[in-house]
Amino acid sequence: MKDILRRHQVLKLEIVDVINKQIKMEAHSSSAYLAMAGWCDLQGYDNCADFFFKQSEEERKHQLKFFHYLTDMGAQAIAPAIGDCQHDFENLRDVFETALDIEISVTDAIHDIVSLCRKHTDIATEEFMKWFVQEQIEEEYVARRALELFDVLGEDKIALGMIEEKILSVSYDGAE
Amino acid sequence: MSPKVISQSIVFETPSTSVSQCDRSEKFFLHFLSQPIELKLCELIGLKRKIENIDLTALVSSQGPDIEVLYLSHQHPVLVLSIYEILELSELLTGTFTMLELNSVIHKFIYRKFS
Repeated sequence: MKDILRRHQVLKLEIVDVINKQIKMEAHSSSAYLAMAGWCDLQGYDNCADFFFKQSEEERKHQLKFFHYLTDMGAQAIAPAIGDCQHDFENLRDVFETALDIEISVTDAIHDIVSLCRKHTDIATEEFMKWFVQEQIEEEYVARRALELFDVLGEDKIALGMIEEKILSVSYDGAE
Repeated sequence: MSPKVISQSIVFETPSTSVSQCDRSEKFFLHFLSQPIELKLCELIGLKRKIENIDLTALVSSQGPDIEVLYLSHQHPVLVLSIYEILELSELLTGTFTMLELNSVIHKFIYRKFS
């Protein structure tokens, strides 16, 4: 009996399912960042809005990267339905707190996928996931660093103005 | 009998249903209704997902008829399933994929290793 399962599908079904869940998570993150960008824009924090528009784009790129991987491996990638996300925030700090929570959840999910790859000895997917592991180090760093600006500068109007000025220059330069 | 039928082998069966595979066309045949339904691997996986996603509790407690309508694709008949049929299909597809994975393991460790 021919091994049709292996001939037509490279990935284990459990791996396909977990990557489809990740596609949904990335899509939801993208949508959540878009809502944050919208809130910032309405409150007059233009640079913070740009920061979150950029984050939203990044998450969308991650979603597509996973999506293409599944289709390239002959598996069915599912375009996700995205539920409602948070549109109202108490203040600017609350927005960045929520952003860090999102990044931590994504990191946990990425690490869970790597663990599952190891369980199934799926070396190809584990190799593919390495980029995301690195990416999450960067994403979490930026989210944490942005939040630290509030601790350093405070939250009065002058401090918020300074955060607005500094936010677009927050970046991760690796282990240089 | 066509050559396609000759090359079919049973993957898994329950008392009234079965899935067989054709090595020549690399397709599966779901023997469930009167006519066998020909499915590609991705369609078989899709069917398994749809069956798994049926909320049986909601189906039982609903005011309407206890049936679920499944649309596979334009090439296939629409499946109208009773709760009993959903359970039987679920058992059939779980068994089918267990056997397919076992077959993969056999190919990996016996056929491909020594070929």
